[in-house]
Amino acid sequence: MSIVADELIRFSSVLKMAYNFLHGRDELKRKKFREKKKLISVGLPFSDLVYGFPDLIPVLPIRMHEFEIHKYLTYLGSSSKIFGWDKVTNFLGFVKDLGIKDINQTVEDIIENVITTINSKYNEMYDIGVENGISTDFCYGVKSLYGMNVSKGKNCEANLNYTIRCSTWNKYLESLKAIGNASKQIWIEIPPRNIGNALELLTDNITQGITELEEISSYDYSANALRKHFQTANQIRQSYKKIIYDISTSDFYPCNPATFCEILALLNISFHDYNSNAIRYKDSITLLLDEMKGRINKGIGVDVSKRPKILITPMFGGWEPKCHEIIYELGGRALYGDWDLLRFLDDIPISNMTDPVEAYAQFLMNANSHGIGADNDTLTDSYIKLAKNMKADGLVFVQVFGCHSVSNCYTMLREKIRRELEIPSIALNFNKMGENVEQVRTRLGAFMEMYK
Amino acid sequence: MANFKLLAEYYLFLKEKKEEGKKIVAFMSHDNIPEELIDAAGLIPLRMIFAGNDELMDASHDFLAPSTCAFAQSCIGAFSIKPEKFKFLELIDYFIVSNHCVSDICASEVITKYFNIKRLNFYVSYTKTENSLKYFKLELLDLKKQLEEIKGAEIDAQVLLNSIKKYNNFKKKLLEISNAITSGSQKLKIFQKAMLYGPDILPELDNIDFEQPQTQTPTKSKDILLTGCSIFIDDYLNDLIEEGGGNILFFDTWVGFNYYHQVIEENAINSSKNPIDLLTHRFEQNIYGDHSVPNFLERKVSHIEDFSRNYEKKTGKKIGVINHIIKFCDHMSIMSSHLKNQLKEKGIFVLNLERDYSRANRGQLSTRIEAFLEMM
Repeated sequence: MSIVADELIRFSSVLKMAYNFLHGRDELKRKKFREKKKLISVGLPFSDLVYGFPDLIPVLPIRMHEFEIHKYLTYLGSSSKIFGWDKVTNFLGFVKDLGIKDINQTVEDIIENVITTINSKYNEMYDIGVENGISTDFCYGVKSLYGMNVSKGKNCEANLNYTIRCSTWNKYLESLKAIGNASKQIWIEIPPRNIGNALELLTDNITQGITELEEISSYDYSANALRKHFQTANQIRQSYKKIIYDISTSDFYPCNPATFCEILALLNISFHDYNSNAIRYKDSITLLLDEMKGRINKGIGVDVSKRPKILITPMFGGWEPKCHEIIYELGGRALYGDWDLLRFLDDIPISNMTDPVEAYAQFLMNANSHGIGADNDTLTDSYIKLAKNMKADGLVFVQVFGCHSVSNCYTMLREKIRRELEIPSIALNFNKMGENVEQVRTRLGAFMEMYK
Repeated sequence: MANFKLLAEYYLFLKEKKEEGKKIVAFMSHDNIPEELIDAAGLIPLRMIFAGNDELMDASHDFLAPSTCAFAQSCIGAFSIKPEKFKFLELIDYFIVSNHCVSDICASEVITKYFNIKRLNFYVSYTKTENSLKYFKLELLDLKKQLEEIKGAEIDAQVLLNSIKKYNNFKKKLLEISNAITSGSQKLKIFQKAMLYGPDILPELDNIDFEQPQTQTPTKSKDILLTGCSIFIDDYLNDLIEEGGGNILFFDTWVGFNYYHQVIEENAINSSKNPIDLLTHRFEQNIYGDHSVPNFLERKVSHIEDFSRNYEKKTGKKIGVINHIIKFCDHMSIMSSHLKNQLKEKGIFVLNLERDYSRANRGQLSTRIEAFLEMM
């Protein structure tokens, strides 16, 4: 029985986000074929520029796949179109409170299904990637992204490619040309360091990227449209940060800590492309924050003051999702905050700037210089800052097999943790979801002993 | 033994330079490092072109994950264990952290941080657009500034231009050697030694008699084009290929073509007023470098195809391609299956040979190479 099911149904926003993620295929098909919109493939949270064009839709390619969705979630999705999500989830909460066993079981099945479906689809993408020739030596993230593009990339008009410090990432993007899709490759180079007039060069690179998007779109670039999107994107970021910092660092949670992690994991995945609809996503995440606050204010939730806060990072490129459940069982609570670590949750400084392109250049340069970093010294500083800001009592570092970038700095990080944070830390090896759960359980068991 | 001698002599060479008051700047980066700038600043560039072994790789695991590229692991291990043959590493004053690949960044950073070597930075654009060239120029100017601080004086433009000409002539010489009729092992030894010493070795290169190769001309062996990762000093891979009946005719690797083809045209040198622009121009012309995106693969395929066709026209035989992939190399590994498939479609035999530096691999590598040569 899922430990998260009880709680998730209280958040209509979560069901809505999950539904929008899982039902991406139908929605995207409709957009592409009926509404004649064009899909642009993105990876990592680099979708913002695409939203400057009304007929272009950014998509993390996994969402073009068909997910095995619990039939009741499909039913709920359809019902929500008539009654609204609030009423649907209130109804679920009501029937659950009645304690009708069969219905309870169904509800739990639905929720458990959402999380496991996404994770197993990621594993399926990993397998497709490997079957199609990508070496098993690469990290989970790249293998699964490769699988997504091999299987669904052909549906996209273009790939929007940003260069970052990870050479695997840059070369993976180049390799997309070789998989036989006719999609256009749009490249935007982020200069490795912010020296001289590098920011100006980045601004120009973005402008050129926009010109290439314009060639695909039936619309001309509009600064107003992009500015408007950046305002929406900033609202998303603000709500996301409040969830990460205000809610997850508090002593009272609106749900049990494992549920909270499931929500954070869902946010982490869906943030890549905002489920292809930024305004809807903004509404959902704003609602999510309100629902969380509302429950806390009413005293509905769980006292977590006695549970040590364990930051699990990095997890965006693949991690064992059972970690937070295990930590919960062992008396702790897990925290996730990768996108802020990489500075993707910083505001796009649109309010101070007249030109949205310049604002976005500043945002990207900031992420590159202070988040994901040009080197491990910067990157480890980012980990430390995140742990400090989240008031973490411990840190579980996910050492992803084949990752030569963001998870290849544990020695340096461990030293900084000892010197600056004085909290326990542990490195867990990860290759594929579900592959090593018992070993993870044993290691986390030993780690959590320190808090007893 | 030959390598021990080479490295021991190199130690003496560097020691002598140090005694003259010169400082040594080392770097791992395979490409695009402007060694002319280092030379013009009166410093000695030292390329990390040394193969690893089990001990060196193991020693790096205290710093980076074992799934880091085996070459990067070995570079860290060389500083960590400090084996006698690498004694000259103690003489290094500065180390350039660059971004040829992310393992270059991580390993170079570990070397500067944990082995107390002062750090210099030089990061290279990934694409080859007009703006990327402008950015490359920014990095050149920044490195120049860092080197001038070490030198305590400005680098004179004429001195830099002279260095550019010196390295140009040096590379032209290596190109001549590449075309000489001799065994792959002899060529490789010359390339390795030359890239270690730099243009100081030109007089020695001038005295090699190419008409009478020092080793027997391998008339019956099967000719090979080696692409992918380089064969570094102290690596046994070339021996395995020759023992199996192969001969590397063309080194399409960093130690080899990728280095010596980067010659700046005479008319560009004569017409340029700013030597920094010449270095930028060379970066632009370096279209075969594996650091760059997004056209590396197609250029690599077309380059190998051209070479293969010419070889076939000249000899009536097909050349085999060994794509050497050092374990966990981002650049070579991710493209390997595409490279093989695309060359196969053009009727070119390809062996993707992936390996790390462990001794245990030797037997398996030998079997694979022999089987490939037999299949040819």
